[in-house]
Amino acid sequence: MIVASLLLHLLGLVLLPFLLPGVINRVKAWWGGRRGAPFLQPFWDTRRLLGKQPVYSDVTTLVFRLAPLVVLATTLVAATLAPMLPGGGLLPFPNDFVAFAYVLGLGRIFLTLAALDTGSPFEGMGAAREATFSVFAEPALFIVLGTLALGSGHSTFAELMRPHGWQAFLVTPLCALALFLLLQIECARLPVDDPTTHLELTMIHEVLILDHSGPDLAMMQYAASLKLTLYAGMLAALLNPIALDQQPLLAALVSFVLMLAIAVVVGLFESLLARFRMRLIPQFAVVIAVIGFAALVLATIQPELG
Amino acid sequence: MSPLHAATLFLLLGAIACIVVPGNGRRAAVGIASQVAATLLVLIAVVPVLAHQPAIIAQLTWSYPVDLILLRIDGLGALFLAFSMPLTLLGAVYAHGYLQPFFKTDRNIGVHYALLNLVSISYLIIYSVENAMVFLLGWEIAALAAWLLVIWDYRNQKVRFAGFNYLVSTHLGLLFLITAFLILFSQTHSFDFSQFGVFLRAPGMTRNVTFLLLVASFGLKSAFFPMHTWLPRAHAAAPAHVSALMSGVIHKAGLYGLLRFTLLIATPDEWMGWFLIAFALLSAVTGVMYTVVQRDLKRLLGYSSTENVGIACLGFGLGYLGLAWHNPTLVVLGFAGGLLHVLHHAVFKCLLFYAAGAVYSATHSVDIERLGGLARKMPHTAIAFLLGGIAIAALPPLNGFVSEFLLYSGLFDDSVLGGQNRGLLVLAATVLAFVGAVSAFSITRAFGLTFLGSPRDPEIHEAHDPVLSMRSALYVLTALLFVFGLVPQVGLALVEVPTSQFIALTHRGLDVARVLAVPLAVLQPIVWVSVSVLLLIGVLAALRKWAMPAPAAIHRTWGCGYTEPLPRAQYTGASFSGHLAGYYKRLLPTKLDRHMPEGPFPAEAHLRTHTVDAVEDRMFEVLNTGEDSLAMLAEKAPLTPRIAFALGLVVLVATVAIVLAGTGGRL
Repeated sequence: MIVASLLLHLLGLVLLPFLLPGVINRVKAWWGGRRGAPFLQPFWDTRRLLGKQPVYSDVTTLVFRLAPLVVLATTLVAATLAPMLPGGGLLPFPNDFVAFAYVLGLGRIFLTLAALDTGSPFEGMGAAREATFSVFAEPALFIVLGTLALGSGHSTFAELMRPHGWQAFLVTPLCALALFLLLQIECARLPVDDPTTHLELTMIHEVLILDHSGPDLAMMQYAASLKLTLYAGMLAALLNPIALDQQPLLAALVSFVLMLAIAVVVGLFESLLARFRMRLIPQFAVVIAVIGFAALVLATIQPELG
Repeated sequence: MSPLHAATLFLLLGAIACIVVPGNGRRAAVGIASQVAATLLVLIAVVPVLAHQPAIIAQLTWSYPVDLILLRIDGLGALFLAFSMPLTLLGAVYAHGYLQPFFKTDRNIGVHYALLNLVSISYLIIYSVENAMVFLLGWEIAALAAWLLVIWDYRNQKVRFAGFNYLVSTHLGLLFLITAFLILFSQTHSFDFSQFGVFLRAPGMTRNVTFLLLVASFGLKSAFFPMHTWLPRAHAAAPAHVSALMSGVIHKAGLYGLLRFTLLIATPDEWMGWFLIAFALLSAVTGVMYTVVQRDLKRLLGYSSTENVGIACLGFGLGYLGLAWHNPTLVVLGFAGGLLHVLHHAVFKCLLFYAAGAVYSATHSVDIERLGGLARKMPHTAIAFLLGGIAIAALPPLNGFVSEFLLYSGLFDDSVLGGQNRGLLVLAATVLAFVGAVSAFSITRAFGLTFLGSPRDPEIHEAHDPVLSMRSALYVLTALLFVFGLVPQVGLALVEVPTSQFIALTHRGLDVARVLAVPLAVLQPIVWVSVSVLLLIGVLAALRKWAMPAPAAIHRTWGCGYTEPLPRAQYTGASFSGHLAGYYKRLLPTKLDRHMPEGPFPAEAHLRTHTVDAVEDRMFEVLNTGEDSLAMLAEKAPLTPRIAFALGLVVLVATVAIVLAGTGGRL
C-alpha cells in the first residue's frame, strides 16, 4: 500500500508539472478561439532548453549559477513534504508544513538574489516585487495551514488536510478558497502576475528569470511548474473526499482529476480577468489572511464542544 | 584557587598589562593572550556543569553592606558563560585586524583591549552572583565598558552623541532594575536571590509589579521595542567588533536576567506568559520592519537584534505558559527553543557584523546605496555574509531554522488545551512567519545590493578581503552555522541542563530524560530535510555539468534592447524597499526633501528621502512641542469621534484596572 502511494506520488511529481501548464494554456487558447499548443508542450520546451548552451552575464557571480540548482532542489524537497495525493507526503513528520514553507523560502531568496546579481534594473524591479509580495503571502499560508492543523487535530501536512467536527463544512471551503488565492500569488498566475507578458513593467516571475538560459532556464521553469503542481495538489488533497489508505487508486484518480480541474479554473481566470494593479496585490494577500482568520475563529470553537 | 578566580585574575592583570606595555602590537597581543587564558579556564570550569555535573558554588566575603557574596554558576549561568567568553575572545582577535590602521598612530590600543577584558569580567560577575548589589555592580561595569568601547571614534560628534544616547538609555533601564530590587529588599530584607525567590514564588500584586519592572529593565538592556532607540545609533557608531559583541553577546545579559528571575518566580501566572509573547512579538515585528528601510548596513543589523531578542523571548513566553499550565512539553520546547535562539543569534549576528566590518575596512562605507558588486572583489566576505543572512532569515539548512522550528513546534503543539489558546498560538505563529518573511526580504536587499550587481559609486573602486585575523573570525563563525544547523545535538547538549532547570520548577517526579528528548525528536526530521537539500543541489550541479552541450558563453546582461546600461540605473535600496515601506507609513515615517524640476527649462532638482525611527521621532516631537501637542489633542478630542472614543476607552480600561487592583482581583 505504502509502495503504491509512493509510486503514485513520484509519478505525479514527474508528470504533472508538464501537464498542468499545458492544460492552462489550452484552456486559454480555447477561450480565445485558437486551437492551442499540445498538452505536453512544456515537456518539449524543457527538452529543447536542456540541449542549449547557456549564456551568463559578465556581471554575475557564483550566486547566479547556483540559483537554478537551489531553486529546483528546494522545490523538489518541498514536493516530498507536500501532500500531492490525499494522505501522502513522502516523509511525513510533525509540523512538516513549516519545513515546506521555509524550504521554499530558501529557493525564493536565491531566485531574487540571482535577479539582483545581473545588475539589471528590470530584474531588480522583479526581485523587489517578489520579495515584497512574499512578505504578505507567507503569513497567509501559515494562518491557513495552522487553522487546518487546529481543525483536524493533526500536525503532519498530509493529515491536517482533513478537518473534522461540526464546522468542517465551513472551515474546509474557506481554507480551500484561501489556498486557491494563494496559488495565484505564489505560482505567479493572473490576477496577480501575468505569465505571458515579457514587458518588464507588468510582470514579477518572468522578469526574475530574464537572464537565465539553456538548462538553467529549464530548471527554473520546471521548478515553477512543480510549485504550481504542489499548490494544486494541496488543494486537491483538501477537497478529496476519499482516503488514500482505503482506496489508493481511486483516491489518486480523484485527486488527479481535481488537479486538472484546478488547472482549468486557473485557465478560466486567466482568460476572463485582467491583472491587478501592483498596489492591490498586498491587499489581495490580506484578504486571504482575513479568510484564514475567519476559518481560524471557526476552528477554535471546535475543541470546546468536542 | 579555582579556575574562575584564576580567569578573573588573568583578565584583570591582562587589562592592566595591556595599557602599560609599550607598543600597540604588544598591547594587543597581551590583551588577546589574557582573553585566551581566561576563556580556557572558564570553559574548563563551566563545561562540566553543562554535562550534568552539580553547580559551582563559592563564597566571598566583602565589607559592609554586602558582607557575604554567594557565587553560584548553575546550568543557565554556565551556558551564558560558555558562549560569551569564546565569542568575546573572537572579537578581540578580529579587533586586531580591524584596528590595524591605528597601530601605527600614537593612540593606545591597550585601552581598547583592557575594556574588552572588563566586559569579560562583567560576564563573570553577572552570570555567577546570587547577590543583587554585586549583580548591579557587574551590570554597571558592562554598561560603562560598552559605552567606552562604542565611542572609540570619539572625535566624531555623531559617535559621541550615539554614545551618550546609549549611556542615558542604559541608566534609565538601571532605574527600573534598582526599583525592582528595592521592592524585593523591602519585602525580604535581604539582597540574596534565594531570599528573593521565597517572596517571588507566591502570586500577588507586588509580584506582578516587580515582574513588570524587571521586564522593563531587562527589555531595555536587550533593546526590546519601544526601548530600542539607543541601539541602532550605537551599533552604527561603534567599531564592527564592538557592535557584534554588544548585539550578540553583551546585551544577552538582559535575557539572562529575565531567565534568572523566571527561575526565582518558579510558578508564573498565565498572564505573564501572554504578556511576554505579546511583548516579544511586538519587538520582533517592529524590529524587522525597521530593517526593511535602513541604508546603513550596521544600523540594519542593529534593528535585527531587536527582532531576534523578540523571537527568543517568544520562546520564553511559551515556556511561561507551559509552567502556568503544567505542560512540560511546552516548557521544554519554549525554553530550549528560546535559549537555542539566543545561542544561534550570537553566532550569526557576530558573523554578519564582522562581514559588515570587513566591508567598512575595505571601502570606508556601509551605505547600501553606494556599494554594489563587492562579491567579486571580496568573495570570502560575501559568502560569509550570505550564509549569515540565510541563517538570520531562519532558512534551512543553517542554524536559524533549527531554533525557529522548535518555536513553531511549540506554537503548533497539540497538547495545548482550549481552542482559544491554540487559536492565539496559531496567530502568534502567523506573526512569526511574517517576521521570517520580512527578515528574508531585508537580507536579500542587504546582500543583493551590497555584494551583487555592479558598483554604484565610482569612488569606491578598490576593495579586497580583509586580513587573516578578521577572516579567521568569519571562518570560525561560518563553520558554526553549519555545525549548529546540521548537528542540532551540539546546540541541544548545551541548552539541556538550563532547560531541565525550568522543567524542574513545576514538575517534580516527572521523567525529565523523556521530556528532554522531545526537542531532538522534533529536530531530527528537519536535519534530513536540510541534508537532502544540500545533496540535491550537488546532484543537480553534476547533472547540469553533464547535460551542458558546450561551455557557457559570457555576454552582457540583457537590457531589453537598451545597449548602454548604467550602474546607476540599478535598483537601489530605497527603490527595493519603497513598495513595502509604503504600506507601513505610520511605523516607517519617511522624510522627503525635494525640489522637483519645474517649467520647460528646469533648474537643478533633487530628491532626498530619509526614513526615521518612529519612536525616536515621536519622542523628540513630544519633547519639542509636548505641551502644544497635548493642548491640541485636548482641543481636538471632543470634535473627532475616533479620538474621543479612544480616550473614553482608555479612561474606562484604566478605571476598571484601578478598581480591580483595589480589590486585589476579587470583584
